[in-house]
Amino acid sequence: MILGSRVRKIEFGIMFITLSLIVFGILMIYSIGAISDGDDPLHFAKRQLLWAFFGIGIMGGMVFLDYSKLKAYFPLIYGGIILLLLTIILFGKSTLGAQRWISIGSFQLQPSEFAKLAIIIALAAFLERSEGKLHDVKTVIQAIGITIVPILLIIMQPDLGTALVFVFILIGILISAGIKVKHLAVILIVGLLLVAMVFQFNILKDYQQTRLVVFLNPDIDPSGGGYNLRQSMIAIGSGGIFGKGLFSGTQSRLNFIPERHTDFIFSVIGEELGLVGGGLLVLGFFLLLTRTLAIGANSRNHFGLLLATGITSMWAFQVLINIGMTIGIMPITGIPLPFISYGGSSMMTNMFAVGLLLSIYARRFS
Amino acid sequence: MDDVIKDKEQRIEDRTIIRVDVLVAIVFIALAVIVVRLWYLQAINGEKYKVFAEENRIRSIPVRAPRGKILDRDRRPLAVNRLAFTMTLIPEKMDDEKLLKRISELLEIPIDVIEERIESKRVDPLMPRVIKRDVSPETVAYVKEHSDKFPGVEIIDDPIRDYPRGTLASHVLGYLSEISDEELENEEPEYLLGDLIGKNGVENQYEDVLSGSKGVQLLEVNAGNVALRTLKKEEPDPGNDLVLTLDAEIQEVAERALQKGMDLAKKDGFKNARAGAIVVMDPNNGEILAMTSLPTYDPRIFSGGISEADWAILNDENNLYPLNNRALMSSYPPGSTFKIVTSVAGLRTGVMSSRSRFTCTGGWTGWGKRWLKWCWKRSGHGSRNLEEALTVSCDSYFYDVSYLIHKRGKEELQLWSRKMGLGANTGIDLPGETGGRIPDKKWKAEFNKAWPENQTWFPGDTVNMAIGQGDLLISPLQLVSIYSIIANDGRIPRPHVVKEVITTDGMKAMAVETEEMVKIDVPASDFKAIERGLKKVTTVADGTAAGAFIGFPIPVAGKTGTSEVAGKDDYAFFAAYAPVDDPKYAISVVIEQGGHGGSVAGPAAREVFDYLFGIEDKAGMKR
Repeated sequence: MILGSRVRKIEFGIMFITLSLIVFGILMIYSIGAISDGDDPLHFAKRQLLWAFFGIGIMGGMVFLDYSKLKAYFPLIYGGIILLLLTIILFGKSTLGAQRWISIGSFQLQPSEFAKLAIIIALAAFLERSEGKLHDVKTVIQAIGITIVPILLIIMQPDLGTALVFVFILIGILISAGIKVKHLAVILIVGLLLVAMVFQFNILKDYQQTRLVVFLNPDIDPSGGGYNLRQSMIAIGSGGIFGKGLFSGTQSRLNFIPERHTDFIFSVIGEELGLVGGGLLVLGFFLLLTRTLAIGANSRNHFGLLLATGITSMWAFQVLINIGMTIGIMPITGIPLPFISYGGSSMMTNMFAVGLLLSIYARRFS
Repeated sequence: MDDVIKDKEQRIEDRTIIRVDVLVAIVFIALAVIVVRLWYLQAINGEKYKVFAEENRIRSIPVRAPRGKILDRDRRPLAVNRLAFTMTLIPEKMDDEKLLKRISELLEIPIDVIEERIESKRVDPLMPRVIKRDVSPETVAYVKEHSDKFPGVEIIDDPIRDYPRGTLASHVLGYLSEISDEELENEEPEYLLGDLIGKNGVENQYEDVLSGSKGVQLLEVNAGNVALRTLKKEEPDPGNDLVLTLDAEIQEVAERALQKGMDLAKKDGFKNARAGAIVVMDPNNGEILAMTSLPTYDPRIFSGGISEADWAILNDENNLYPLNNRALMSSYPPGSTFKIVTSVAGLRTGVMSSRSRFTCTGGWTGWGKRWLKWCWKRSGHGSRNLEEALTVSCDSYFYDVSYLIHKRGKEELQLWSRKMGLGANTGIDLPGETGGRIPDKKWKAEFNKAWPENQTWFPGDTVNMAIGQGDLLISPLQLVSIYSIIANDGRIPRPHVVKEVITTDGMKAMAVETEEMVKIDVPASDFKAIERGLKKVTTVADGTAAGAFIGFPIPVAGKTGTSEVAGKDDYAFFAAYAPVDDPKYAISVVIEQGGHGGSVAGPAAREVFDYLFGIEDKAGMKR
């Protein structure tokens, strides 16, 4: 009977959606096969499967944990993640001009992924006190302060895309915490001024500037800076309504799509499964995000609500930016598509988040 | 109070729900934008992107067709294809200075020449650049053994033209060279940069027959432009072979004879005898059996790309332009060989008959004492009829005849010249033919536009023309043609060098059109009268070519010619056909600055006739 009551407390909907997304992602990674000639074509699929099992473990563990207890540890979680980000700046491994990784054995961890969740927990814990009436300017500024530290550390890596995820997490949580429209407007204006300053003082690296220029003029340099975007759009467009079929994407198989098992995995989905496959995936994300918000709305306390909206902001922004960049409506950044892109840190972070949501749901009445 | 609190909590809940709904709306809008964009890319523009994706992965590589061979009339090969190796370099390595230096040392080509070659060729940026065609097998072996030292260097099979008989008939064959930018714009679209195209000769004239049509290979390539597999291959359609009317053996004899004629001229003191031509034709059907022109060139220097130094030599004026086929590209005042035309005109206009006699005193004053013209024999030939006049080539006789024609005022010498095909192309299937020139009143006025005092056509112009001097110009090919007309009782054969077109396995591929021969409206008796004179030229003691044909058992109808060219030594001519009663061969010989036709051109023709009729006695050449 104990088991029975627990079963009733589990939100099977979000579990089903999440697992479907993961299976879908592994299937696509399997379809992509080897990245270089002679590699094991199952290499990435097998590893992603392993990460998925880890993730399911983490998720399962979280169901039994009362998420409210995290509140007490938030300074520890926050401090820990800041320390980790500092470590990466000092000792991290560099790829593509950015230091984002820490190697542990043969695996590489990306602390900025974990940092997203850490900041969600920290902000939710900090803003819960406002109980939905965040009218105090001082608290708003403190919340910004909490977020700005990891943002600056991640910009230093540099990883502008991930840093932007933090900005959106902050905004999402502030809205659901009840920030005054007036304050939100001021934050947005200051934010825009900061962006203007970034351009004014040429803080962006060359490749970042190129990405923005290409985003604004996609046809400007089809064999250079615009190559990735152009090839991605050709892949997706050529998929048509029904796609070319799994294992049959020429753009993917013949190396025209860069980073196709991670950042540009949606290009492969669009090419091989067409509008139908891509549309179903977007629908899946819509269901995931609305379920997440529903769990938040039904939470027994504000902490749960803020956690859920933070997670929603994180996922929604990543989906929009990641898919958006492959179809030319967002600039190109290195942000993974949740549950789909290959990557252990991302998978574990997202599954931890799902576990949190299950925990919130299971304890919605007590 | 309780109610108030409860109400307050309720309001918080409502607000929260509203905020969550705002987030749901934002999420919905964001995802809807994605779906709309996907719709736009995949449903509306899907076909366009499908084309882009195919263009990305499929490379269409043209496959060159093997070029047809050129054979002589007995199918002996004159131009064939030889397997050769071409060294190429992939574009990525074009700037690798160390590599270029190594290649330069290996091929012994200066590095700047290599750089120029790989950069000047404006080929597809992805195509390997040709460094050198026809690389030696030793070099190929070296590159393959040391492939680590030559990254990006590829050796490809690339057949090139080979000429088993060397320089033989090089002017008729023509040569191949890489297509120029200009030609690329004007020619059929199937030509690509780097293709070889026929220049000059039958290589040019029959380019369409020889070149075949390209095949195509569709390759699947990856993003690194590495070919992964062949999707489809359409084999090229090989070019057809040409069977020429040329006989390689006759050709060889003719080339040797021309050289000997020039050597004779030099022995006689004509040091500038360095150029000439011989054409041998079957007068019955216009088949060219031999066509030679000196100076010549070796077509093999074009295989694998001609060097700039060689090209400069071929185009140096001091070398007399060896690429020119003098047999049909050059025209000359033909001297006394032209007298057969004057004869025809005289007989047809009725100003004389074959029995009419004119008296030669050495100096001709028919036009008035002021306008004295000399016969070549200043002591005079005495009274001569047509036959006798031709035999000794009496100029005065033809001055008289042409002056009578002139007085009729109808330019009938020109008329009959044109009727015999002069002043126009013969229509031979070779490029670059000149039609020569038949001067007349209209031409003279036009030609001297800037000098009004020189525009009048005088009787002197007509009488000059009558003996093949002055402004009259005919090519060696035209010369052999007009003698063929006499041989053929008035039928005008169309000269041609291609007998048939066959497939590579010897089957007839295409009929070569043979025109119905036009017959000139001259009675056979007139030709016979002329022929009697021509026969005596080689057979009676005072015949101008008697010396050259001493002891020759077959009757030959011929005529010598010696023409004066301002500022140069005399040009020597001889034209003939044999046997007189059943003509099988017609010949024309021209030796520029060779002196007298009878002493150098005649013996050269005799040399050819010796071979044609299997005569061993070379008395004509020995003298």
